[in-house]
Amino acid sequence: MSQPAGADPRAPRDPVATEPAAADATLRVPRPRRWDVPFGEMGEGDLDRLLGLEPFCSMDPTRFSPAVPLRGVLANDTRLVRFGRGDIVVREGDYGASAFLIVSGAVRVLAGLPAAMLGRLESRRRGWLSLLAQPWTNARAPEVRDLARAAHDARVAERRAAAGETRIFLQDVPGVLDRHGSVRLGAGETFGELAALGRTPRTASVFAEEESELLEVRWQGLRELRARDPALKEFIDRRYRERSLATHLRETPLFRHLDPRALEALAQETVFESYGRFDWHGSYRALAGEVEVRLADEPVIAEEGHYPNGLILIRSGFARLTRRHGHGQLSLSYIGKGAHYGLEELVANWRSRQQVPLGRTLRAVGYVDVLRVPTAAVERHVLPALPPEPAPAAPGPGGAGPSDARLPQPLIEFLVDRRFINGTAAMVIDLDRCTRCDDCVRACAVAHDGNPRFLRHGPRQGSLMVANACMHCADPVCMIGCPTGAIHRDPARGQVVINDATCIGCATCARSCPYDNIQMVEIHDRRGRSLLDEATGAPILKAAKCDLCIDQLGGPACQRACPHDALVRIDLTRPDPLGEWLER
Amino acid sequence: MRRETARRIAVDGGAALVLVLALGGTAVLSASLRAAERASGWALFALVVGLAAYHLRKRLPFLPLGSSATWMALHSRAGVLAIVVFFVHAGGRLPAGALERVLALLFWAVSGSGIVGLLLTRAIPRRLAARGEEVLFERIPLLRRRLREQAEAVVLGVAEASHLGTLAGFYGRELAPFFAAPRNFWPHLSGSGRPLGHLLGGLAAIERYLDERERGGAARLASLIRAKDDLDFHHTHQAALKGWLFVHVGLTWSLLLVGLLHGALGELFSGVDP
Repeated sequence: MSQPAGADPRAPRDPVATEPAAADATLRVPRPRRWDVPFGEMGEGDLDRLLGLEPFCSMDPTRFSPAVPLRGVLANDTRLVRFGRGDIVVREGDYGASAFLIVSGAVRVLAGLPAAMLGRLESRRRGWLSLLAQPWTNARAPEVRDLARAAHDARVAERRAAAGETRIFLQDVPGVLDRHGSVRLGAGETFGELAALGRTPRTASVFAEEESELLEVRWQGLRELRARDPALKEFIDRRYRERSLATHLRETPLFRHLDPRALEALAQETVFESYGRFDWHGSYRALAGEVEVRLADEPVIAEEGHYPNGLILIRSGFARLTRRHGHGQLSLSYIGKGAHYGLEELVANWRSRQQVPLGRTLRAVGYVDVLRVPTAAVERHVLPALPPEPAPAAPGPGGAGPSDARLPQPLIEFLVDRRFINGTAAMVIDLDRCTRCDDCVRACAVAHDGNPRFLRHGPRQGSLMVANACMHCADPVCMIGCPTGAIHRDPARGQVVINDATCIGCATCARSCPYDNIQMVEIHDRRGRSLLDEATGAPILKAAKCDLCIDQLGGPACQRACPHDALVRIDLTRPDPLGEWLER
Repeated sequence: MRRETARRIAVDGGAALVLVLALGGTAVLSASLRAAERASGWALFALVVGLAAYHLRKRLPFLPLGSSATWMALHSRAGVLAIVVFFVHAGGRLPAGALERVLALLFWAVSGSGIVGLLLTRAIPRRLAARGEEVLFERIPLLRRRLREQAEAVVLGVAEASHLGTLAGFYGRELAPFFAAPRNFWPHLSGSGRPLGHLLGGLAAIERYLDERERGGAARLASLIRAKDDLDFHHTHQAALKGWLFVHVGLTWSLLLVGLLHGALGELFSGVDP
């Protein structure tokens, strides 16, 4: 993160210096730095041009730290991307990690494009006849694909962009504009900031209306710019307040009883805060050491013993609840999107007119986006309207609070440290019950044309195993960067699925998956012949993973096939479902 | 109410109801001995067909026919019910006819293997979970070969360095067969640690004849022996879990065929007085 002032962050670094210490043969290497891998190639001319444009020309460079100057942010956290007429820039439903500034040209923003045009699968279930025929119609060769179906929707086409990237473009731009209402954005305008900062799905698709040059800013840079430039912060916060906050607050169970005026007042006083790193999926495995080392890497959002200065709502991401225990920290539980923290203490203080400090520390696990409703606003709008019973109890020192998990403490640390708390449908196997019969694997294979989509193996904690099966994550990092939109969330049921027809085998998703739950497989035709690229002769690859039996009747075949109730597909984003399952 | 509790109540309630109906029906028909035997016989056959249908359900996992766990619960209750109906039908004695004797023996073999299997599926998973790393059954030969290669490399390395064959001799006599194939099936199944103790004891006994380098090799061999023993433990228990099912299913199909033959003969000769 830090580097000497004035140093060119992209300057070549010394090769690995091999200086083995005498006793333990250690190796001295350069410490990894924030800008070791820039987002794109930016020339000095590009940087000068950008610094002459809004909003950068209005930014005060002295507000930026010498270690992370404005020019450095533009050089390392942004890239210029050219789009041709009709090129899709972002798709509705995509998970993005970047925002865009239109440097030249224009784009159209529109919602409701058909799934096939966005490279998605049409959501459907198989009929009974098709299900019954599976044992006989399943292919004998592994990973067979129907070539006739492996084609894009006729309304879109694929082309190679200058940097070797794949672009999907709309064939009939006027037709699309005729059929769908859209908004035009021109040079100087921005889009995608809220999705990038909140790691939420894009709410609309954007395509280039004409030849356009866009500045893509990755989330690290966007967060830096927002933190250093008050105007940009005010712009983004205002946009979030206008578009999302009221809905978010209205959907929070705690505020359901509030009238619209109180909600509006709350929205005006709510503060947005972000903690941790978006790229947690690339870094968390490096922290596989002592618990205290991992905890030190988790920014503190609110600390045990401090006065509660507001009610904290988790907007996205996860946080760990800990309590001091001896010289260390005890993990009590974890909370995710939609949960709140600090209410017990606020209620206790308000009712007793005493000052009860926070009973637990809240730490960001990976990336957390929170809303902080100041104490005064909570006392003014929320607490007077709170039903008198049941009164939440403030967690006393040494004891677990009411929201603490029913899971054993080592299991909580296992789930949090390995980030399994990201899974909405993780495959958990109780090894005290599992007879290793592999009925689950066979059932999966039958439901997927003879190819099992998981491995009955994985990390263990006690007698519980989290198997290598797609967990259909709450924060699906695998979906970031798919050039064709082939990996996506099913709009109806929420599973993360891959559209074989539009998957180009680039392996971006497989590399991004922090749990190694996506495999790149070589594909065959029905006669078992390997399919090779006609240009290079290399095998054609497709990404393959568990789709939670989205096209089958009755849900995941693996779970239904277990004779001993040893396997479950379970939501680990909250501790309660697993606690209930363990007590079954 | 928890899902599993609800399932148990439904399954046990259903089984009790069927038992009451079967016994009641037999009592009503007992005025005519032949009618009672016929009714209990076909009821028993229907039960065995129902029990065997679980195997078919396993073959069609993609159909929404209820979870396998529910079927398993029904299967175990129906198995107990079948034993009760068998007593009603045939009594506790061995029948006189050859076919009937074969049928009775098959029934007891299927029932016995089912009960043994139930006990194994309750006991073995906990044992497996408590010992060593989790291993996939199909990968055991590969892991065994790796351990053998590591052990051979240790022994060869030590022998080349020391020019003495003490450790290599012990390896050839005691350890080469141990690393070559799965060993100690019954001791593992019975929970005995004696074979492992024997090998480690043998290694410890030759330690005083080894120099420092060889002792290092022996220590490495000891850890490989323990790893191989863990692998054998998993192989034994997973093979037992797979083996009993193979026996149980094979016997069930024989029981169905012989039972059908018995029923057909009974129907054919039902009008003939002895």
